[in-house]
Amino acid sequence: MTRNRILFGIGVLAFVSVIVTVRLGGFLVDNEYRQPDRQVAAQEELGEAELVPRQQGIADEQAADEAEARARPYEEAEYRTVPFVGSRVTVWVLAQLHLLFAAFVLAVPLFAFIIEFVGYVKKEERYNKLAYEFTKLLSVSFSMTATFGAFLTFALIILYPKFTNYLMHIFSPTFLPYVLLFFLEALFLYSYYYGWGKFGPKMHLFLGFMLNVVGTAIMFIANAWLTFMMSPGKRDDIDGDGVPDFVSAVSESGALLSLRDAFFNFTWMPINIHRIIANVAFGGSIAAAYAAFRYLQAKTDEERAHFDWMGYVGNFVAIIAFLPLPFAGYYLAAEIYAFSQTLGIQMMGGTFSWLFVLQAALIGNLFLGANYYLWLGMGRMEGGVHFQKFIKWLLIAIALCFAVWATPRYAISSVSEIAAMGGSSHPQLSYLGQMSAKNTAVNILILSTYMSFLLYRRTGRQSIHPYRQLLTRAQAIVFSSAAALVIFYGVYGYFVDSATRIRFAIPQVYSVLAALVVITVIDLPLYRNAAQSGETKWGRIPAVSQYALIFIALSFTWLMGLMGYVRSGLRQEWHVYGVILDTSPDAYTPSLGFATQVVSVTVLVFFGLIGVVFWLSSLSGKKDYAPGAAPEDGGRLEGGQAA
Amino acid sequence: MKFSVPMPLRLVLLVLGTTAFYMYLGQIVPQKESHPPPPVLINAEMTTEDLVAVGAELASGKGQCLVGCHTVGQSGPLRYPDLDGIGGRAATQVDGLSELEYLAQSLYEPAAFIVPGFADGMQAINQPPINLSDDEIKAVIAWLQSLGGTPNVTLDTDLGY
Repeated sequence: MTRNRILFGIGVLAFVSVIVTVRLGGFLVDNEYRQPDRQVAAQEELGEAELVPRQQGIADEQAADEAEARARPYEEAEYRTVPFVGSRVTVWVLAQLHLLFAAFVLAVPLFAFIIEFVGYVKKEERYNKLAYEFTKLLSVSFSMTATFGAFLTFALIILYPKFTNYLMHIFSPTFLPYVLLFFLEALFLYSYYYGWGKFGPKMHLFLGFMLNVVGTAIMFIANAWLTFMMSPGKRDDIDGDGVPDFVSAVSESGALLSLRDAFFNFTWMPINIHRIIANVAFGGSIAAAYAAFRYLQAKTDEERAHFDWMGYVGNFVAIIAFLPLPFAGYYLAAEIYAFSQTLGIQMMGGTFSWLFVLQAALIGNLFLGANYYLWLGMGRMEGGVHFQKFIKWLLIAIALCFAVWATPRYAISSVSEIAAMGGSSHPQLSYLGQMSAKNTAVNILILSTYMSFLLYRRTGRQSIHPYRQLLTRAQAIVFSSAAALVIFYGVYGYFVDSATRIRFAIPQVYSVLAALVVITVIDLPLYRNAAQSGETKWGRIPAVSQYALIFIALSFTWLMGLMGYVRSGLRQEWHVYGVILDTSPDAYTPSLGFATQVVSVTVLVFFGLIGVVFWLSSLSGKKDYAPGAAPEDGGRLEGGQAA
Repeated sequence: MKFSVPMPLRLVLLVLGTTAFYMYLGQIVPQKESHPPPPVLINAEMTTEDLVAVGAELASGKGQCLVGCHTVGQSGPLRYPDLDGIGGRAATQVDGLSELEYLAQSLYEPAAFIVPGFADGMQAINQPPINLSDDEIKAVIAWLQSLGGTPNVTLDTDLGY
């Protein structure tokens, strides 16, 4: 029924489009200037030699234009503009859309490969089917990535010809390998997708592995181009005084000195690491949103069970990748500081300082959404009531951390409020706006989310390990110690100078990371072959949980757009920081309000397009069209299963 | 009769509502466009007093000195040394360096001497991205001298760089 409606809608749309086109053409022709009939008759009497004044005027104008064009010497354009929206916004939106699809296309093969590998090791067909379900999303997304990549390239060549030419001067040796790798990626992607079930498992896994290797290599090359714009060189202790010196990859005039230094520039590896992790988190969330979409469409319990499981796995991937993401972000920020204090200060204390309050709201929402989904998921297990009493405490901890993280150092206040406070910062709340409080909040958020996951994992299960009490206590001690250490350094940070305070972030991060690793290592044997107190009922989860998954995907997408703005905007009026100045009318950093409008439009376009990807991907599960057969209701997945 | 919003409409509302919410947050925070600093014109007729005024302008603009790095007249935990009184104490900061030599060195070679208690991090301001000209640096020195000292630098002064 739905399919017939869609086909009918497309037909109506096509019909209306044809009518509108014909009517528009007719309107334009009807409104074209025409000579009065009597003038034509008069001219025929006069012969062809004399032109009426209007014709003479047009002919003169054409001749003058031609003469001017011939006299004008060829001049290379530095910039061209796009009416209404401007060049920068055009390139901005195209680059962001390309990046979002590229991130998805790079991330999905990574966890599809891992899921397929797990299925191969465990000899369980359901993992294989799940990996295939994820891979179905790739084909159309790959086309979208390539389309937006081409669109972006053309936009750069047309709108920023001189700057694009400069980048070609620097990176032309990398273009051919990039194209060859792109070709290889297409080869591996399509053979991986269409070869599902056609090759042996080892061969198919090899294809998946190669797809990931090639995709990562492509990203590393593209990252060199963009990070060069931010840090065109490296830091090295060339005079042996123990202090790293800046070694530029280009001369003061911009001429290339070292392609190696331009490629392996200062922020290249931090961006690579940050993007790999962020891509996996983002890809997992989008795949989970697809599962949620299919869950909400599902007509049978079997379908609901399958897509509930798929959504759970997608979200699990997203959250597991999301937990270390703040650490990767911290590493990237520290490297930006190390490269240029000016850039670092601009980022955290200058133009972009308020952006991080917005980022805190987004990440806080992500943590809340992820935890909420896990808590709702406990309802799938029989005997899941036991741990639900802890949820309120976790919710309180998460909400408090969220509030601390989103508290700005300087409040948005009226003149009278500033006078009452004795300054633009609140006498008490401004303490929460400092780095110590924020580092503490994000680390406790991560620990709390991990605790939610541990509770979820234990729901309906009983360890049969002989040392279960001892191991559980050990886990509790590790968890409490990490939390205590984080809070200790957070409070102590208020009593030391800023340089020491910044360094406190390192033990905070390491203690949380160590806690996650140690508790996981203990948990694996502790709950291996655990006794089940009841069956897991996949599909038995409130529908609101599926909207939570879509909300998480939306927040991830919005966050990526926002961070794209800060990464690119940091350069301020430079195309290549410190080397090539932007002299276009857009040579300034737009306000956060304007940036959020552009990000919002980009997110809406992306979700419109990803909706098309979801719809096209869901078609493959439908029955083939058969004349006279009854229309199919919903997408019935062949071989759908319950875990 | 129970009214139920159809699923596609719910999804559209969720997408639009979430995006609108985040966009709204972006509108309520302080808005600031960051423009490149305006060019500061220095001409040969400028006196030391003129240079002090130009130097002050450079310090809070193109020179980025007061944009999140140094302060004037603040105490407590600071990122970099407070500049209040620097004109008076510059001559005694490093043995063997006069007031002018110390100020010039701290701008051209900031890593050569780090004030105890602070970390290295300042970039040479005659290089990109700050990229001040020699005359602009003389103006900044004149302004620094004016903070607790007596400015004497002119455009003819040889800074040794």
